Amino acid sequence: MKTKFLIQAGIIAAIYAVLTIILAPFSYGPMQIRVSEALTILPYFTPAAIPGLFIGCLVSNYISPYGVIDMICGSGATLIAAAGSYMLRSKPVLVPLPPVVANAVIIGLMLHYAYGVPMNLFLIMAWIGLGELIACYVIGYPLLRYLKKYKRIFE
Amino acid sequence: MIRDITLGQYYPGDSWVHKLDPRTKIIGTFVYLIALFLVKDFWGFLIAVTGILMVVAISRVPLSFILKGLKPVFIIILFTFFINMFMTKGEVLIGWKFLVITKEGLYNAFFMGIRLVLLIIGSSILTLATKPIKLTDGIESLLGPLKKIGVPAHELAMMMTIALRFIPTLLEETDKIMKAQMARGADFESGNIFKRAKSLIPLLIPLFISAFRIAQDLAMAMEARCYSGGENRTRMTAMTYEKRDILATLGLIAFVATILLERILI
Repeated sequence: MKTKFLIQAGIIAAIYAVLTIILAPFSYGPMQIRVSEALTILPYFTPAAIPGLFIGCLVSNYISPYGVIDMICGSGATLIAAAGSYMLRSKPVLVPLPPVVANAVIIGLMLHYAYGVPMNLFLIMAWIGLGELIACYVIGYPLLRYLKKYKRIFE
Repeated sequence: MIRDITLGQYYPGDSWVHKLDPRTKIIGTFVYLIALFLVKDFWGFLIAVTGILMVVAISRVPLSFILKGLKPVFIIILFTFFINMFMTKGEVLIGWKFLVITKEGLYNAFFMGIRLVLLIIGSSILTLATKPIKLTDGIESLLGPLKKIGVPAHELAMMMTIALRFIPTLLEETDKIMKAQMARGADFESGNIFKRAKSLIPLLIPLFISAFRIAQDLAMAMEARCYSGGENRTRMTAMTYEKRDILATLGLIAFVATILLERILI
């Protein structure tokens, strides 16, 4: 692996964590709109974002009040989503979609089974999906369009 | 505003728990969390509570500090508690219109509530008593065997180290950009959720550009020093398995055995 790839991934992880920390009150829990999730559009620009987002999520969840289970499930969801986004990069409109689906399903399952939040499973999933939808399409998609102008910073 | 944010929950100290090998602590935490799901009645929880209280006492992290960390999840705990209490069908204890508390509901509410609290305390003690960098080292070492099937353990750990190193730098940078944009009339705080979300774009773009400039400098610096990955790289503080790790492992085995015995016998 090239040094640059490593560093870009590390920096993307740091940005993710910083945004999660600064906007913390909204970032954790079932009512979360995690603004940092908007960064899930980054695989469109560079594959380094796949491990980057994974690590970012891991590091942010290290601070999460939900502990280790959230670290694993949340980061796992992000990793799957980032790989999905990377594969869909030929269609920019679809790039923010994988994180919405992956998080709704995986975090929904986690909250329902591991933490015993006794709401209907599909209701939890829909709720989380909604938060992700806002983060990914309202912030993420415009971010993608603006960042296109600065594409060269990823090179 | 940014200064109030402490990174991570690390509680500095040099207790026995702090000094344990991070690998022991990671494995121990996992085993504890799994053990919590093996518990099927309140006697089991009594053992689990005793176990975690002992660890907390040894770590010398004040209990009040840990409980303060529970605050953000308090709503979820309450929510889970009440929904379990009112939504479980069974023998009615008290009923008022549509709100009915059943015996089973009360049992479930306490059972789930205690498990949730223990899950959170159990895993937060790991992050409270382990420096992020040590945790990273531990993860790298534990993932080591997976290198054979292609998991890039060293690279992942390196990315994590870089991320941890640059979080404070980028926090400061974000603060600066926020202030600069506010001086130019940007508004991050008013409007509905969509408007507020959109107002973050003028923050994100400069943050990206500045962060990737840092990345470029760092790449150059590392290449100039011939960084070439994990092979044959030595570290300043090597991890060693010591007597206390063996003791801790024995304690853990005893704990799991007690939980299992309780499950089988009572």
